[in-house]
Amino acid sequence: MTQQTVRTEPKDAGRDAGRLVRLIPSYAGLILLTLVFVSPLLWMLSTSLKPNYMTTRFPPQWIPKDFSNVGYSTILTTSSANPVLQWFLNSVIAASAHTLLVLVTASMAAYALARMHFRGKNIMFVVIVLTLVIPQFVFLIGNYLIVQFFGWLDTLLAVIVPGAAGAFGVFFLRQFFLSLPLELEEAALIDGANRFQIFLRVILPLSKAPLATLAVLSFLTNWNDFLWPVYVLLSPKSLTLQPGLAILQGAYNTNYTPIMAGGVLASIPVLLIYIFAQRYIIEGVSRSGLKG
Amino acid sequence: MATQGIEQPHVQRPRGKTSSSGRKPADAGPLTAYLFMAPYLAIFIIFIAIPVVFGIWVSLHNWDPMLPVKPWVGLQNYVDLFTPGSTTFGPFWKSMGATGKFTLYSVPLLVLIPLLIALVLNQEFRGRNFFRATFFAPYVLGVAVVGILWRFLLDPNVGLVNYYLGALGLPDNIPWITALPWAWISLVGVTVWWTLGFNTVIYLAGLQDIDPALYDAAKVDGANRWQRFVNVTLPGLRPVLLFVITVTILASANMFGQSYLITQGAPGEETTTAIWYIAETGLRFFKMGSAAAMSYVLALALALVSLANFALFRYRGD
Amino acid sequence: MGRRVTRQEFLLMSAGAGAGVVLAGCGGSTTDLEKAGSGGKSYNGPKVSLSFWNGFTAADGDYMRRLVEEFSSQEKNIDVSMNTVDWEVYYQKVPATVQSGKGPDLGIMHITQLPTNAARGVILAMDDVANELNLKKSDFAPVVWDAGVYNGKRYGIPLDVHPLGLFYNKGTMEKAGLDPNSPPQTKDDYMAALEQLKSKGIQGHWMSPFLFTGGLTFQSLIYQFGGELYNENVTKATFNSEAGVNALTWMVDVVKEGYSPKDVAQDAEYTAFQNGKNAFMWNGIWNILELDTVKGLDYGVAQLPQIGSQKGAWADSHNFVIMNKRGQDPNKVAASKVFINWISKRSVEWAKAGQVPARDEVRESQEFKSLKWQPVIAKELPYVQFPPPVPGIGDVYTGSLEPAINEAVLLKKEPEAALDEAANTADQLLKENKQKYQAA
Repeated sequence: MTQQTVRTEPKDAGRDAGRLVRLIPSYAGLILLTLVFVSPLLWMLSTSLKPNYMTTRFPPQWIPKDFSNVGYSTILTTSSANPVLQWFLNSVIAASAHTLLVLVTASMAAYALARMHFRGKNIMFVVIVLTLVIPQFVFLIGNYLIVQFFGWLDTLLAVIVPGAAGAFGVFFLRQFFLSLPLELEEAALIDGANRFQIFLRVILPLSKAPLATLAVLSFLTNWNDFLWPVYVLLSPKSLTLQPGLAILQGAYNTNYTPIMAGGVLASIPVLLIYIFAQRYIIEGVSRSGLKG
Repeated sequence: MATQGIEQPHVQRPRGKTSSSGRKPADAGPLTAYLFMAPYLAIFIIFIAIPVVFGIWVSLHNWDPMLPVKPWVGLQNYVDLFTPGSTTFGPFWKSMGATGKFTLYSVPLLVLIPLLIALVLNQEFRGRNFFRATFFAPYVLGVAVVGILWRFLLDPNVGLVNYYLGALGLPDNIPWITALPWAWISLVGVTVWWTLGFNTVIYLAGLQDIDPALYDAAKVDGANRWQRFVNVTLPGLRPVLLFVITVTILASANMFGQSYLITQGAPGEETTTAIWYIAETGLRFFKMGSAAAMSYVLALALALVSLANFALFRYRGD
Repeated sequence: MGRRVTRQEFLLMSAGAGAGVVLAGCGGSTTDLEKAGSGGKSYNGPKVSLSFWNGFTAADGDYMRRLVEEFSSQEKNIDVSMNTVDWEVYYQKVPATVQSGKGPDLGIMHITQLPTNAARGVILAMDDVANELNLKKSDFAPVVWDAGVYNGKRYGIPLDVHPLGLFYNKGTMEKAGLDPNSPPQTKDDYMAALEQLKSKGIQGHWMSPFLFTGGLTFQSLIYQFGGELYNENVTKATFNSEAGVNALTWMVDVVKEGYSPKDVAQDAEYTAFQNGKNAFMWNGIWNILELDTVKGLDYGVAQLPQIGSQKGAWADSHNFVIMNKRGQDPNKVAASKVFINWISKRSVEWAKAGQVPARDEVRESQEFKSLKWQPVIAKELPYVQFPPPVPGIGDVYTGSLEPAINEAVLLKKEPEAALDEAANTADQLLKENKQKYQAA
């Protein structure tokens, strides 16, 4: 790794101190702003840990005087009318399977588009990229009918597979593969490796970062998917967590404790992923704005 | 070519024999390529290519998936959308109006506020990555979580928003969810909170892309902060701005979850967006012909808006 | 080299073949399945589990759940699991799941939804079920028994009838000097009561522009004024007749005269009733479940006042239906019949959820008569009406009459103009429906 040279301005020590003093109020302001900004999430957590009656009491208690797990027990017991635990599991399965599907299919297609020559390659690429600008709802009716045709309605397959057709992964990985030096692959080719081996042993190991980014983004997208599951997942046991939350809201109305508990449950995995993979996510987003 | 930071591959190869020019060694034929493409292509064809075309076919029928016969109606579904007094005209354009209003109200805020935040965060100071991450955090939550959370916060009786308003001496019984214009304010406000991090990050990347030498040159010319902003930052951000505006417009036009969970489309059908109406018509009432026609009309409208946006930016630049 | 077909594959293939028939036609031939069982009185087959769906997501669901549990514990070989799906999405989810073969075995549907689902092949014809259970028209309120027939076949066994009734807030009535135990039943009495309430600053009848409750009110009133929603063979809308105009005009006048605020929001009349802000509410009998839990609310339920020339009331009815699942197991069908018969006989328990049992013998029982308000509303049964059993009739209402009532009550359109325009739209919709469902 090359060392980054640090630019120092030796005569600015005094200036730095002055700047720091002036910065403190701005820092304080920024910290306050940030705190207010995330406070809704804190409130969601706090409410989920309260006994039912407390959610309608004022003044609001950010830290509950009495902790209670009634919110969680209501939604997590197996005898509950809404199998939240099942929904959680369904979301985990769906998001994981979807991510795997995306990684496998997109990486292979991206590699072919980046490095191989074959008839129709340019047309395929153009068509695929064009779909990036087509809004999702255009595929809604058609996808429903196709999913119904396959018998996937009300099963997790309906929320795992169709989303993997998105062009972002292919586009994103192709960019990256193009940036890899040709020498590595050519060297391997000369050595007699076939394309598949090169792909597995040369390309993929070099692509850990973009693959991780794509994995995280795909997982999040699928985990958070709402509109599509609302219409294709039907039986109470087949739902994933997001449409399940809508059902919880309908079922518990203004009894917010179990609803907030559901929200916390739905947020923990994504927030955990975010804390650990935040760099990948933000980088992925940044890059998408700088395409071209 | 820079190869720092890339792990050394397993394949051992004497450095001297690179061949970046000249013919490639014998490669597997196109069959390999097709095999690589096949899995993705299969999914793409089945779930993107076919639905687009099939959708058009559906839109030319009175298509109820439960019934054996789907009578051909030609362009009638489309004609109905433009015929006042037809059964779909009223509700469809009302929902388009709702989508239009939401886009109109939310896009300026979603374009400007993140820019301001990005400008603040673009300065060198400790912990700025932390702040950047915090502003981005709500974006990773799903619309369902955001929806139920803010439904609670905006509840006129037990929600925090009205409570704190009251604590500040302002009216504490604002009907955030059930009456206009509050419903729109709620929906726009929640969306801004939820997604501003996304645009902020994109702006930040764009800002960092601007050559600092341009700023130095401007400073040397005696430009003050505002002039530097107008003459260096804004032009430098132009492609990013175009991207942000386009993406934000598209995202706003797709709004569904916030309405569904926070205002339930109320009052009346005032906040029922076009997407929601299309989904309900097609997937709940199984009037798929109508719904398909509606989605193509909406897609066309969006395409025109994007083109106009693009043209506007090109024009203003020159 | 051939391979023996496994039993599983054989079943799947026959199920698939059956599905082909089902999807290609309507209802299909399933008489063999329907004949399974021993008259629905007892179940002698192997252990089965039935999946039973309904939309009773509120407190009423608890009553049904108790009945289901009692049944399951009595019938050792039938295990019924009940699933509640909000009525709002029920009529999307049930057809979709049944068509995909994963849906429930049996369920509850509103009588107004039977024709649409029958035409779509979602539910089975139940003539044989009725015969086996020895159920006939004389066992039930005639209007609800007849309304369950579509295309000459019966598609539902009625469980209950839930009409619109007059809810009156005794506390508010007293405040205005009205006798809280004597709710007005004639037009003159009703208008006089409203006038008296108005003089005391109370808006007595909040007129809702929405289906609940304004639309239900209109449908009751048009019957009272001697009109019908549609003509005999359901090809034209007739709700813009003089009767319809009279009905809607009365509703609009209640607003114009100040007996109701303008722009009543969805369910605002309900909240106002609970808080004593109004005195009268025309709403469904099922609301007594929730109203009983409101502290400090002293209310009563009476028959709807007769505003027109005759008595009339809107009602709907929950019916048992058997789903047309692919590869229907004859044992399950037999078990379903036993279940339906059992619940039907015990429907007095269901009546406690704020319903009026459809079965005569239950309504005439002492246990039912000892309930507080349901017997009062049961008196409406001789004159309640349902919309005609035509597929898609609900959509016609939603697409034409509903917005018309909405605009008229919101004083945005004159009643006659609104109804005329709506009738035009309705005629179009009726034609479209006929075209769409005719092959079925």
